[in-house]
Amino acid sequence: MLTIRLVEDELQRLCLTGEASDLHFSKGQEAISVGVCSELRSTDYIVVHHRTISPAIARGLPMNPLMAEILGKATGINKGLAGEMHIRSPELRFMFAFQLVGTCASVAAGLAWAVKYYKKEDDIVAVFLGDAATSNAQFHEGMNLAAVRKVPLLVVVEDNHLAGNVRPEFYLPAPIEKRFESYGMSATKADGNKVDKVMEAARACTEEVRAKGSPSALILDTTRLSWHKQGQRDVRSRAELDLLAERDPLLYEERRQGIDAALKSKLTETIEREIAGAVEFARASPIPKMAWMES
Amino acid sequence: MTEPKTWNPTINRNHLIRDAIGLGIYDCMKADPSVYLFGEGASMKMHFDCPAIEKEFPERIVTLPISEDGNTNFAVGASLVGVKPVVDVITSDFLFRTMDGICNTAPKVNFVTETVEEERTVVIRSENITFGLTTGQRLESLFTHIPGLRVIYPSNPRDARGLMRTALRHPGVTLFFEDRMIADADTRPEEAEDSGRDISFGKAAVVHRGDKLTVVSYALTLQRARKVIEADDGLDGCELIDLRSLYPLDMGAIRKSVRKTGRLLVIEPDITHSGVGAEILAEIAESPDVEMSTRPQRSGAPMSMIPASHFLHRDLIPTEEKIKMVIQERLN
Repeated sequence: MLTIRLVEDELQRLCLTGEASDLHFSKGQEAISVGVCSELRSTDYIVVHHRTISPAIARGLPMNPLMAEILGKATGINKGLAGEMHIRSPELRFMFAFQLVGTCASVAAGLAWAVKYYKKEDDIVAVFLGDAATSNAQFHEGMNLAAVRKVPLLVVVEDNHLAGNVRPEFYLPAPIEKRFESYGMSATKADGNKVDKVMEAARACTEEVRAKGSPSALILDTTRLSWHKQGQRDVRSRAELDLLAERDPLLYEERRQGIDAALKSKLTETIEREIAGAVEFARASPIPKMAWMES
Repeated sequence: MTEPKTWNPTINRNHLIRDAIGLGIYDCMKADPSVYLFGEGASMKMHFDCPAIEKEFPERIVTLPISEDGNTNFAVGASLVGVKPVVDVITSDFLFRTMDGICNTAPKVNFVTETVEEERTVVIRSENITFGLTTGQRLESLFTHIPGLRVIYPSNPRDARGLMRTALRHPGVTLFFEDRMIADADTRPEEAEDSGRDISFGKAAVVHRGDKLTVVSYALTLQRARKVIEADDGLDGCELIDLRSLYPLDMGAIRKSVRKTGRLLVIEPDITHSGVGAEILAEIAESPDVEMSTRPQRSGAPMSMIPASHFLHRDLIPTEEKIKMVIQERLN
């Protein structure tokens, strides 16, 4: 979680200098990526929304090609052509990421169908999406397909109570779990800012999905402490953000594990050195090439 | 030249191309266990159109709900672990419903996939039959503007089968159209037989040789133009080219023909505005090595919605009479 936080902090600095374009951060939501990914097998699949940095690191994408990808260089995991929002690493079964909110749901349903009925494996698919995505037709069509076809899909809802800069009163008329119930799916709720609680809930849910081979939802209440994206100002007041910051998953984990200031600064130093190395690697890398550049 | 006043599938039997598409899929299913069918009413459709698939591969037919966009995205998701899906979107108008899957998901997944491994194979099929405001809209030109899509439109059963095999045997995303307004009687007997060969994309066919006027067309208007040219000795100088593949376009074949004839006429069933014909005319105009003796011309559908009244359908897409008139104009 600390690595994710520090990578995003560094990328935010690079956004301000123009080295990175406007990125979508998961500050405050890191415990969800880390907690859920830690409960998945290395052979399970994941499909994610547009905030990819956190799940990518949680899934174990190596730092250098990840940084190079985000900074648009040819040494990136997808040769700098996919960028922050469309990272794909089949080796790590990090299958795809979607900028268009909701699409990940129907694609993940199809992937889970193929894992079960075509590959005939007992691996599962975890799809990460926001609470706002549950208003999209692709979410509903995807859930309908997943339920009708009985596919091993874990739907992880990062419930940050925001659609970009828009509050739930504009998109959510009833509790999210009702949406899953209408597809005959069970929905578990947990505090998404407490990594131990996320792990506990994710363990139960992954076991259920794997055992039954049918879809289930995990709704994790969380707080987005960053803007929707760098470069788009937040509607929330400083006071509101300060209040949310009290639920910072890093603070909770530091207290839970008894990490003191000295240890934290030692960890930070080590991670920051790795990040600086990755940034240098990206800076030294060539820009991508495409066929049309020669014409 | 006796066309019914309206195009009625009950009196114009039209199963040869449909059956050939089914058999093209069947050929690939036999050879490749990763080929699957997805779509609304998929089982029922195979029951009627390709009993061989229904009989031999029932487990590879996935009947899905009326959720076109979800269905396409679902199939693309399945392709991520190696399934080669043929998604049946049925009537072309539903393509608008699944633009996200066809334009945002499938080609983009493939673009990124290409950076880490081999591209995925996804086929989306759809059909055209002029019927009403939201039934049978010709949308093929629209999709030729989207990078990462191969847009295929056969005019006869032999090509349909060979092109479908190519779509499934060569990685990439293919939008495969079926013209339900080509009647079985429009097809020459030899065109109904399978050649056994796959047909490369971006490879046009010269249907009739001539040296006075290059006529380029595809699908329904190709068959109408062929009948017109073959029925009248006076039009024998036409060289008729069947595009078959709208993207990639076989500009090489068109340039070669126009260099010989010096004249170009594109006849298309789609709306001419910003259409395939416009692209061909522009490419020819930009070709430094092609001399034209007369101005090139297009003939196609007007910028109009499809009215409900079937009395108006006849003149929406160039008829044989209209095609004959335009060809004669260009020849003189």
